[in-house]
Amino acid sequence: MKELTAEDASLLELVDRLLNKGVVLAGEATISVAGIDLIYLGLNVVLAAVETIDKARDRRAS
Amino acid sequence: MILLAHAIAASPGATLALNGLRGRPLMWSEAGDLGLWSTEWEPDVKLERPDALEHHGLVERICAAQPCLPVRFGTAFATPDEARASLDKRAAALHAALTRVAGKSELALTLLWTEHSPPQAVESAAGPGRRYMEARRAEFAAREARRSRAESLVEEVLTELAIERQLVWYETCTSENVAVSLAVLVPTERAGELKAGLAQVAARFPDVIPVLNGPWPPYTFARTE
Repeated sequence: MKELTAEDASLLELVDRLLNKGVVLAGEATISVAGIDLIYLGLNVVLAAVETIDKARDRRAS
Repeated sequence: MILLAHAIAASPGATLALNGLRGRPLMWSEAGDLGLWSTEWEPDVKLERPDALEHHGLVERICAAQPCLPVRFGTAFATPDEARASLDKRAAALHAALTRVAGKSELALTLLWTEHSPPQAVESAAGPGRRYMEARRAEFAAREARRSRAESLVEEVLTELAIERQLVWYETCTSENVAVSLAVLVPTERAGELKAGLAQVAARFPDVIPVLNGPWPPYTFARTE
């Protein structure tokens, strides 16, 4: 796994807030977000660097 | 057409010369003395990472114009009436949250360990069962030492800056790299000064790299449950 850089950490912190914080209006539809769910999981579970996740996703897509 | 939610604010909505995501119309749906800022969206259009960042930009601009509560990205309503009903159901809690965050912004401090936990040496003469148990015990001790150190870092930051506990949210050791992920709710006009204070305190810690972000909209402090 690639070392987590300060830039990675900043982006992950922001994405975590967008997807995991804020008002939850339960009971309504939540649209899935392409390419972001893995980054979100990355923060809380794996915390792999964004670049690493992107590469992994690209490999799966090819 | 559905509504992709961005932020909740007290009515009347501010006058904003803004478009929603991808240049689509930005809507204000009023429910009593609250309202929802949202983008008209087509349900079959998938959201992408740039949309999340654009949502963040929109929420920042709405928060700059009037106190608002960011809505979790990806939340959508089939109709404006559905959005209004959702606000009505939680009106009291939403008002309380709006009062809590009015005039405030969020600063984010992440502390990254400078080094991975060193592997613990286990006596090689021991049998495999003993080696396994000793390795497990060493791992547990190292993990607990890190957690304890991370908690002490948080304490030092909060004490040095005399930050009220109720205005702070944090987690420690969420991964191998992260010692602390901390958010603090600060008066917007003092955000620059407090950010500098956080940077100064965090820079003294020899075993972590501080990453400071914000001021952001009060994502972490907008919860109503």
